[in-house]
Amino acid sequence: MSIPAFSLFSAISELLVTAGVLFVVRRNWTRRHFPFAIFLSVALFEGLVNVMYMAGRASEASAAHAASAALPVGMKIGFAAHGLLSLFAYLVFVVLGTLAHQAQEQGRWFFRERPALTWSFLVVWMVSIVSGEVIFALRYLV
Amino acid sequence: MSPAPPNPRARRLRAPLLLAVWTLFGVAATGGLVIFFARLAAGTTPGIEIHVVSGLALLAAWAAYQWAHWLRIAPWRPRLDYTLGLVAAISMGLALLTGLPLALEWWQAREAGRPAHYVSWLSGAHNVMSMLVLTFVAAHLFTVLERDARRRAENGKGAAKQ
Repeated sequence: MSIPAFSLFSAISELLVTAGVLFVVRRNWTRRHFPFAIFLSVALFEGLVNVMYMAGRASEASAAHAASAALPVGMKIGFAAHGLLSLFAYLVFVVLGTLAHQAQEQGRWFFRERPALTWSFLVVWMVSIVSGEVIFALRYLV
Repeated sequence: MSPAPPNPRARRLRAPLLLAVWTLFGVAATGGLVIFFARLAAGTTPGIEIHVVSGLALLAAWAAYQWAHWLRIAPWRPRLDYTLGLVAAISMGLALLTGLPLALEWWQAREAGRPAHYVSWLSGAHNVMSMLVLTFVAAHLFTVLERDARRRAENGKGAAKQ
């Protein structure tokens, strides 16, 4: 099966976005200047490109496309669960990032001061990314 | 001793129009997420009637709230809470406007007794904007509330020093 260009682009860019998220959190964790420009770039890119990709795929999948109609139910539920989890992870990233930026201006280190919240967020983010990559692999590579 | 005057923010957060916006937003967003999941997983759109009606009511209530909100906070200031609020407002406007033709198609299909055929890019745009609304409304609100909490803490310290 040939891989659609946008699917391949999204699968690869998700890894780059994850690198950006980890960079932002690590900078704050190690008490270095909050990289607001990188945070904003990652948030906007993820919002406008990858969420758009996911929503587009969702529309196609639900519009009875020939390819999506042949998908097993388990795969469809996996798509939907991944979509919601990705949205939740993205939402939390933007909220925590803005709070970290504000805290930095007061000389505080938001992520460092909240290790439980930080690690929980990172786990959710990684589950969201790994589930997306697994779906991509099952759909196009297996 | 007279009771302390209510915090202006707390009073605004309890205003009837904002409570109506929050309620309609909650109903429309929950319904939208249910539909998003069900369309993908099962090809169904449960509760779409509630989603459409709450979305239409939200459009009217939000437009009134947003206008009053802008009149209160104008002019524009280059601050994080303003930027997040602007992104949230644009996303909300686009989510509601892209929802209108989808709602129209749903209504026409319902009247004609045929399945609805939603334009793919319009449905995708509606989904993306809705997700951005959830994200940036939350970020805007948390930013403002966190700033208020910080100011209260600073005022408390200042009062304690005196």
